[in-house]
Amino acid sequence: MNEEVMKARAADEVVIKADGVKYSYRSGERVSRGVEGIDLEIRRGEFVVFLGRNGSGKSTLAKLLNGFLVPDEGIVTALGLDTADEDRIYDVRSKVGMVFQNPDNQMVASVIESDVAFGPENLGVPREEIEERVTEALETVGMSEYRNGSPNKLSGGQKQRVAIASILAMRPEVIILDESTAMLDPKGRREIMETIMKLNREKGMTVILITHYMDEAIEADRIFVMDSGRVTAFGTPAEVFAATEAIAAAGLELPVAGKVSLELKKMGFDVPFAITDEDLAEGVCRS
Amino acid sequence: MKDMTLGQYYPTDSFTHRMDPRAKLVLVIAFIVMVFLAESFLSYFAVIVCVVSAALVSRIPLSKMLKSIKAIIMLLIFTGILNLLFYNGETVLWSWWRIKISVEGIIFSIKMVLRLVLLVMGTTLLTYTTTPTSLTDGMESLLTPLKYIKVPVHDIAVIMSIALRFIPILSEEVDKIMMAQKARGASFDTGGLLSRAKALLPILIPLFVSAFRRADELALALDARCYNATPNRTRYKVMKFGLRDLAGAIGMAAFIVLVVALNNNFWGAYETVQSVWWLF
Repeated sequence: MNEEVMKARAADEVVIKADGVKYSYRSGERVSRGVEGIDLEIRRGEFVVFLGRNGSGKSTLAKLLNGFLVPDEGIVTALGLDTADEDRIYDVRSKVGMVFQNPDNQMVASVIESDVAFGPENLGVPREEIEERVTEALETVGMSEYRNGSPNKLSGGQKQRVAIASILAMRPEVIILDESTAMLDPKGRREIMETIMKLNREKGMTVILITHYMDEAIEADRIFVMDSGRVTAFGTPAEVFAATEAIAAAGLELPVAGKVSLELKKMGFDVPFAITDEDLAEGVCRS
Repeated sequence: MKDMTLGQYYPTDSFTHRMDPRAKLVLVIAFIVMVFLAESFLSYFAVIVCVVSAALVSRIPLSKMLKSIKAIIMLLIFTGILNLLFYNGETVLWSWWRIKISVEGIIFSIKMVLRLVLLVMGTTLLTYTTTPTSLTDGMESLLTPLKYIKVPVHDIAVIMSIALRFIPILSEEVDKIMMAQKARGASFDTGGLLSRAKALLPILIPLFVSAFRRADELALALDARCYNATPNRTRYKVMKFGLRDLAGAIGMAAFIVLVVALNNNFWGAYETVQSVWWLF
């Protein structure tokens, strides 16, 4: 088999697969719905975004994808492993890394390099290799100079980058960011988006981003719009953003460029649907 | 508030700062033993020399050292006066009812105060020269033998490390909650003791709620980092017992021998010393 074929195969490889997944939260008598009937496949190297408002089930789905939650019905397989298999759960979690919302609540050590080393230490990685991994992970997120510093003095975006580095140090194949930009200021969000794009485009990492900001989904390979525990729309950003009804129903808001292009069209201008500001400018110029 | 760390680490680079935290912990224990061994003023003098030279080697300014005494000044005064007034000495100088001041009492209370001062100065040198993180690492390493009697040493170390990490975060949160409550008209610094304590309730409740929420997320984050994935956990930071630590240990051992020798007047080797220092 030549290299190109292998690459093509690898690109097609399904890393995470959900099959008829249902999950509901129970506390005592109360049952609240999490997700119902999710089928999806995520392929290696993809940048996938789950969009939805609060309570749409997107975070539940994220937790189902790396075995934090086990589906009531259906099967989730991550890298060929059933997430319901308790004996292999750490294999799943080390390969499908997860970054959470609040950067402060996911750091365990008071020194940044110790925090990044925590994951590999838990996995029993030899010392010399941990050093190498810490260096590499911090370099990837651009936080090398803070290596010996304390996380308390960092900005939100920087802390979240360290949190990403801490996951990267475990050398995962997939990284899930569960609303990791939600608590950050615009600058911090931009830092995280840049880091994500770098991971995906340069390192070929499969990235799953859970968010309610539509503008973060613009550069995704595929978008899943979620509402009431179901996927209500999916496809490329252009396809999904054009499905205005599903987006409105999911309580989401289009990026400014998208809104402007739609309004222009409504007013009778021949402007193609655009998502990014550049596309809009180009479309307006052409028409 | 953001820079707050537990203890009082004094960031500089010195011989002591670079020592293995385990060695420092053991030396501090040895130091405490030495302070309690000291009996005569001469041996107290040796302990003082020990503390001063340790402070010099650690490059901790004298003002910093004295600051640690300030915290226990009330205790010092209290112990000093009690011992002075109630010591049952022979050579009574002044007495009234049950109170009597004697020469022995004066000497004893001076020694007690000296002992406390030296204890605090010596032990705070540890926190001045060691970051809380490496202190935790050192304790974990020293407690490792307890693993064999099923003490979860590593879990305890992780708990301590998380506590250290969250102290500044929670204290910042207290500030925020206080400001929020003040904005609603709460006052924390007026009224009697009881009403002040009551005023703290609207701070404590939100603080606890938030702490529990953080704990929930932290638990997930620990799981995401594969905490407890394998019993064969590795360590990134390894501590090395080096020449520096050996030198420290030898120094401390020398002082302990000196203190014991001074207590016993070098076992009669210097009769003259005895005749001069008979008072003590």
